[in-house]
Amino acid sequence: MKKNSLGGRFLIGLCFLFLYLPIFLLIFFSFNASDSNVVWQGFSLRWYGELFHSRLVIESVATTLLVSLVATAIATVAGTFAAIGIYSLTKKWRDPVLMVNNIPMMNADIVTGVSLCLFFVAFFHGWGSIAAFINAHQSLVKLPEQLHLGIVTLILAHVCFNIPYVILNVAPRLRQMDSNLVDAAMDLGCTWMQAFTRVILPEIKPGIVSGALIAFTMSVDDFVISYFTAGSSIQTLSMAIYGMTKKRVTPVVNAVSTIVFLAVLIVLVINNILSARRAKAAASRASLEPVRVDPRVERFKQWLYTPRGRLARRLTAGVLCVAFVASTVFLTAFTQSRPVVNVCSWGEYIDEDLITEFEEETGIRVNYQTAESNETMYSLLKSGGADYDVIVPSDYMISQLIEEGMLAELDYSQIPNFELIDPRFRNLPYDPENKYTVPYTWGTVGIIYNAAMVDEEIHSWSALYDDKYAGQVLLIGNSRDAFGIALKYLGYSMNTTDEGQIREAYGLVSDAYERGVFQGKVMDEVFLAMEGGNAAFATYYAGDYLSMLEKNEDLRFVIPDEGSNWFVDAMCVLKTARNYDNALKWINFIASTDANLRNMDTIWYGSPNTEALEQYPAWYEEEYGEPLDPEIYHIIAPPQEVLERCEMYVCLPKATRTLYNDLWIKLGI
Amino acid sequence: MRNKRGWFAFPYVIWMALFVVIPIVIMLVYSLTVPVETAAGEAAQGSLENFTGMTLYASVFGRSFLLALVATLICLLIGYPVAYLMSREGPGFQRVAMALIMLPMWMNFLLRTYSWMAILENNGLLNQLFQKLGVISLYNRLTGSDIDHFKLLRTSGAVVLGMVYNYLPFMILPIYTVLTKLDPRLIEAAQDLGADAPTVFRRVTLPLSLSGIISGVTMVFVPSVSTFAISRLLGGGSQMMLGDLIENQFLGGAYNPHLGAAISMVMMVIVVICMLVMNHFGDGEGEAVML
Repeated sequence: MKKNSLGGRFLIGLCFLFLYLPIFLLIFFSFNASDSNVVWQGFSLRWYGELFHSRLVIESVATTLLVSLVATAIATVAGTFAAIGIYSLTKKWRDPVLMVNNIPMMNADIVTGVSLCLFFVAFFHGWGSIAAFINAHQSLVKLPEQLHLGIVTLILAHVCFNIPYVILNVAPRLRQMDSNLVDAAMDLGCTWMQAFTRVILPEIKPGIVSGALIAFTMSVDDFVISYFTAGSSIQTLSMAIYGMTKKRVTPVVNAVSTIVFLAVLIVLVINNILSARRAKAAASRASLEPVRVDPRVERFKQWLYTPRGRLARRLTAGVLCVAFVASTVFLTAFTQSRPVVNVCSWGEYIDEDLITEFEEETGIRVNYQTAESNETMYSLLKSGGADYDVIVPSDYMISQLIEEGMLAELDYSQIPNFELIDPRFRNLPYDPENKYTVPYTWGTVGIIYNAAMVDEEIHSWSALYDDKYAGQVLLIGNSRDAFGIALKYLGYSMNTTDEGQIREAYGLVSDAYERGVFQGKVMDEVFLAMEGGNAAFATYYAGDYLSMLEKNEDLRFVIPDEGSNWFVDAMCVLKTARNYDNALKWINFIASTDANLRNMDTIWYGSPNTEALEQYPAWYEEEYGEPLDPEIYHIIAPPQEVLERCEMYVCLPKATRTLYNDLWIKLGI
Repeated sequence: MRNKRGWFAFPYVIWMALFVVIPIVIMLVYSLTVPVETAAGEAAQGSLENFTGMTLYASVFGRSFLLALVATLICLLIGYPVAYLMSREGPGFQRVAMALIMLPMWMNFLLRTYSWMAILENNGLLNQLFQKLGVISLYNRLTGSDIDHFKLLRTSGAVVLGMVYNYLPFMILPIYTVLTKLDPRLIEAAQDLGADAPTVFRRVTLPLSLSGIISGVTMVFVPSVSTFAISRLLGGGSQMMLGDLIENQFLGGAYNPHLGAAISMVMMVIVVICMLVMNHFGDGEGEAVML
């Protein structure tokens, strides 16, 4: 065959450069001394060190590999046989089957995810009543009456969206294949299975390989479908990473990705060298003597197709199946026997050592999951897909959950540390009688600006809508904050339900939009944009500003004179919680002064614990040997007079939420 | 026809009935109902409201299909030559190249996209490179403008780039798979019969690789239409696509899965129509790949 010219290879090279440019950048920044993805602050292996420390990341990598490999294996085998089957159908049957096959691909991921979640939940309900009926009428076997989403449903969901890709890759090869070949093989005495392994398989192998590759890739990369089908005790790496986006994605995942990348690369290179060597050896052997096959292997192969061999094959398959089922059952039983607590919080929102300490202290295993936003978590809870024990929603979401009867009342006698919570953070509007919540953190929203790009002191939200800074302003990427700030600027309440006021706020934002003031809407990408000096203004949380300040000293934070939003994230227990007592133990542990001090130091959000709040400057000095900058303390925990200017979100009525959402979509159209 | 194994399809048909059809029916029911407040809480009521209200989003539909189409075309224009060239290399090269094409996709999507953002930002790598090379000052001199960077990020171009980057491998692989199976004797025969290189390509190679192209186009076009994170991150939220719209109904503050399901249903119908049209053009060889 003709080999490619230099130009051809150059073209392939260009394509690879395109594919690998961002990857190299990502690998490069995994060695960054700071946690920025844009500002280089020196070489360090810090993130690799932290990686081995981070159980969450390691476990999620293990889960990802397990789920993706198993799902890919099942999908590849099933998909290949299904493709052969579909290909053998008459056209009348083939077309509708293929159409249905493509549905999971055509559907938006989120729709597939939610619908699978609803399906599983409905099935569990049905199963529950059947199992209860069977258990009540006999005592030989005891069926579990309560099933939960978990690794099995996760794998099923992955198989579900993987199979179409396998079929789509195998089908073209099947079409290219001469079907007479199979007839010929069988005329010559092959069984169908032999014809399959010796004729069909080699013909369609490249299709199977590329199908499996794509399936594996889709599996590794999937977030939404996994999120809705994984249940409350496991999470994949993708889920962990998306969970971090409410704050910042830790470079630890860059480090993990780099390691995975290099490992695969090394395997590839070794494999290639070996096969090249083998090919060479085979070539030199071939020229000297005929290919030698071990007669024992050949005899064994023939024996496999005798009646006795067939029996043996079937027995082996049966034993393997039984072993697989038994090990699954055993594993589930094993994991269920340990006391656990399922916690769902935000990413990068805890000093991870606290988890290990709690486990050592109590013997309760913590399954720590992260959600992307209040709304994402709400959607999952609504679909019945999660039965977390402890969740940490924000104020307005808490009141919504209470209103819809989804939270359990807390037994405060089991949470002695609640006494340490500052009275300022008790009986807040979202939970007026304080029956459901223990505050976790609090903070403010303000303007972050780059003093190198702005030559005045900023005191007002008006800067965000000013033509002077056209193209330099980042709009916060959720409707509640974006419109809330506009309302505040206009002098209205952030919690207004007056349609006229809300439309006025929308007018302000959309007008600025049309004048080109905004560079775009951002959420966690704000770190990237502000640290790199790519925009002059952004609106974000105080704690996150401090993390940006470490990389870019020009940044300033201000709570404008018009006032702003202040928020509380609080721990709650769901009504569906399976481990109520463990949940209270966890809440009590996290509410302690020590845990609060360490969390505050890690995430830079204010603590609601009176002692921790007071002791932090002293604690900081002891820990780091230098005094805490009072200005920084002021930003972490602004004094009461600042809070008085600020307003806390309450849960808006459904109609207002819909209005917010419609207006927000209109901005994007 | 002893070798036909049509029954192999039946377990899969049952599987699909369970895991594809039932969930779709659930969503169909959602799309045909609206939530109403009753004394006992929220209930669902049959209504076509979700569909009739959708004309509002016509521009989002238009943009989604247009951008996805552009991305698919670019993928095809890059992917076909690369697949073609790859299939003519030695087996060792091919094995490695195939794995190398998928490898970047094993790094999380979000991380890759952040990387692209760092490249495309106003102060990003690309703009810095342009500055060093004097492209920007040249541009300023030519057009009389005064800019210190090109706006690359948060544009529709960035969204298309994101789609091409993410889905290019799905175009290359199926085409490559089909091309490796191509019988080289057919090409030799065509050459012997006096066809020049372009004719051989047009009359032999291209028609025989059509099924791979259709697979590839499907695997690029379909996810491109429904993507949401790409447009949000690279488009800066102003390039809203169907995926964002649907996501917004499920994960937004308003939480209206009914409308989300309805939009998704309409999107699916349009995708099916697109595929039918495409298969019509590629008929004969390509027919049954997609539908």
